[in-house]
Amino acid sequence: MSMNFSEFKRLLGAEPRSGDPEFLRACQSSPEFEREAAKAQQFEDKLDRAMDIPEPASLIEDLMTISQQPPAMTGNRRWLKFALAASLFVAVGAAGLVWKMNRGWDSVEEYLVDHYRHDGVSLLVRADGDTAKDVQEILSELNIHASPALAEIVGVIKYCPTPDGKGVHMILNTETGPVTVIYMPDTAVNDREMLAFDDVEAVLITLQSGSAAIIGPAAEQMSSLYALIYDSLLPLPGNS
Amino acid sequence: MNTEAGRQAKFNQLAQTYGTDLYRYAMWICGNDALAKDLVQETFLRAWKALDNLKDSKAVKSWLITILRREYARTFERKVPKFTDVDSVVVADERELEPEERTEIRLLRQGIMELAPKYREPLLMQVVLGYSCKEISETLGISKSAVMTQLFRAREQLKSQLRKDGVTGNVHELF
Repeated sequence: MSMNFSEFKRLLGAEPRSGDPEFLRACQSSPEFEREAAKAQQFEDKLDRAMDIPEPASLIEDLMTISQQPPAMTGNRRWLKFALAASLFVAVGAAGLVWKMNRGWDSVEEYLVDHYRHDGVSLLVRADGDTAKDVQEILSELNIHASPALAEIVGVIKYCPTPDGKGVHMILNTETGPVTVIYMPDTAVNDREMLAFDDVEAVLITLQSGSAAIIGPAAEQMSSLYALIYDSLLPLPGNS
Repeated sequence: MNTEAGRQAKFNQLAQTYGTDLYRYAMWICGNDALAKDLVQETFLRAWKALDNLKDSKAVKSWLITILRREYARTFERKVPKFTDVDSVVVADERELEPEERTEIRLLRQGIMELAPKYREPLLMQVVLGYSCKEISETLGISKSAVMTQLFRAREQLKSQLRKDGVTGNVHELF
């Protein structure tokens, strides 16, 4: 039994590239069906074009760095264990969380742990000592710039999500190894708050414009990098 | 080839084969470039950890999509405001288009972003991932008939959007 026109149109709207033999026969069964099939094909071509988003330049390369990670660094997710450095910790109970609920993650700390576990380790692997060339270009889009002292040790830089929109994820090649810095242009933090998770520690900084987190293996190094980041991530003139 | 090298090669093959499709899919469901990259990164990170559990190579694509959808639901859908920076990502390739085509494509993109998730997701699976209705039905856990209805309505809404926005020329000829 042949397909009626109404049924044919429904199939065209649902699966216009179906390989079903009955459907294919129907496509050529009469001029009316042929015209309808041609119109549907035109629409599909436009849909293909509309949905064809170019892939980011380093997407596949970034993904393939995952397989270069040592097994220990891809261990199962463990939840945040706050090991707070007492001298630096700002009492959350007194001050209240700066974080605005329901904007994204439940806290800036949760975001940092989550984000770092997403690609923090894979980016560390890519920091091979070469200084990234597009530091200022990327930072300028967020209305900040890096001092030469900071810019020359940035090994990797990329945009990243933050609780309040686009931010920047950088890997610094320091004397004692790679360190992660996450810049959050619109997120408020408790300045100098420290936290620890997995095998790393982090310190939060309130900058002249926005905030940042430094994430690395040792508290001592975090503290010394605090001054460098505070002095080096600065608003562009006219954006302070 | 030793086991670890073989595992790496297998993973890299997955990244090369499916990375772009997963990025496009993620971009369309979350509408934000940075979030989409993170979703894909997390999906492949989880895939790398669980690679040894993957026995059926034919199921790789749906396995990856399942991970990505779960990640999206877990991390983003509930919490992060919707962004719509698809246009900022695709601006570069539009320069080759005629003005009229550019308008049509932009309206379609806007229409896709405005589709309800229950219509958008099956459409993405079909157009971006090349899924059949049966595969969409299996992935979403709904009947094939429901998938077909959603796909039909998704297209109707997009066409209606184009008509409403008064696109002239050959787009009108489509309907």
